[in-house]
Amino acid sequence: MTCSESQKRVDPFLDNEVELATAQEMQRHLEECSACESLVADRLALRHCLQTPELRFVPTADLRSRIHAQLQKEIRPPSARFNWLQRLQFPNWILPTLAGAAAVLIFWFGSATYLSQVRSSSGTHNTLSEQLVSNHLRSLVGDHLFDVASSDQHTVKPWFAGKLNFPPPVFDFSDQGFKLIGGRLDYVGDQEVAAVVFQHKKHYINLFVWPRNQSSPLVDAILQKEGFNLYGWDANGLTMWAVTDAEPEALKTFVELEKQRMTE
Amino acid sequence: MIASVLPMNDQEKLRRFESEMLPFMNDAYNLARWLVQNDQDAHDMVQEAYLRAFRFFSGMREATSRAWLLRIVRNVCYDHLRKRQVPSVSSDSQQEDLPDTNPSPEAALQTKSEIAAVRSALANLPEDFRTVLVLREMEELSYREISEITQVPIGTVMSRLARGRQHLADALKEMRAKGLL
Repeated sequence: MTCSESQKRVDPFLDNEVELATAQEMQRHLEECSACESLVADRLALRHCLQTPELRFVPTADLRSRIHAQLQKEIRPPSARFNWLQRLQFPNWILPTLAGAAAVLIFWFGSATYLSQVRSSSGTHNTLSEQLVSNHLRSLVGDHLFDVASSDQHTVKPWFAGKLNFPPPVFDFSDQGFKLIGGRLDYVGDQEVAAVVFQHKKHYINLFVWPRNQSSPLVDAILQKEGFNLYGWDANGLTMWAVTDAEPEALKTFVELEKQRMTE
Repeated sequence: MIASVLPMNDQEKLRRFESEMLPFMNDAYNLARWLVQNDQDAHDMVQEAYLRAFRFFSGMREATSRAWLLRIVRNVCYDHLRKRQVPSVSSDSQQEDLPDTNPSPEAALQTKSEIAAVRSALANLPEDFRTVLVLREMEELSYREISEITQVPIGTVMSRLARGRQHLADALKEMRAKGLL
């Protein structure tokens, strides 16, 4: 290796960015050439100098909290109203027709004051019943109600088999006025759950099912939340929650049908 | 109430982002400070870089997180410098006039005046050279990573490093001759 080749390679050599064979050639050359050896020594001295910790600049102690505060602001935009609309993650086409969707909501729930309740309680509570009502409500907007649309339990049940590691009970009670219309996957917290969807007259029932993971038994009674009726119970190692805007009596009947069928 | 479940996903994303990216905050600041040469601006640059990074954060663990963040920092700083048209010279290049008693360059920098002198020499290098030197010597990144961050070919990284080191060595030699180091 000549001196000019060696000088050209001294930087990548010291940066460990040359092939092994080149490094070995460099070593041999440096043993013989004092001029190149002194260039390497200068470079190493310079590196030593630049790696002095005091040369680094250190941020002020509050930079971390400044970053955190800004990122928090990023995920919580100042306008609360816009905030929850964005979070719904509607497909793009639905936003221009939001007014229409709102009208449908009001029609379904028969209460013009409902939206303001939704807004005022946004983000402040996170209980299980509120999550369930939230899931139920979201399922009614757009085409979120089911991933598999079928009134045939032998279609809906196998659909879940490929998606979940537990088999949710899927029955059809059309004869009793609770028609199976489909199923979908949903989340409660970070638990993946089955949602089996029924129709009763003009009302929908979401039956959320997941493997039982609480020690205390569920209340086994009607709960009312934000104008919806909920019923939670345990059966065969599963936690079941039915959520609907149908009358409490209808919900009770539905739950009785489910319980009866599951013990058969 | 509709939003009561979904914000947890945002919070989870933020938590993961911070645990993955905040360990590189000091590196990000060091690079920003060497590029924009001003304390206040450097803090703003890092904050802006984290915001941009968060917007593009996929939640996937990547081996190149640090290089990725530094690339964003570098881009943010360049945007800032372009906007302000700041000449890339040091704003804190005040030089101490006490001659040093231990001028050996092999020794780690001992005194405030030495540190100030080397800082000044590095700060006065053309920006292209300064960036690759900071990334290579202080952040100890590979040529490939530096190439990704500065968006120039590896061959260019190599030649900038060689020329940058030579410029810096010459500048320090001159300071030493003047008794500044």
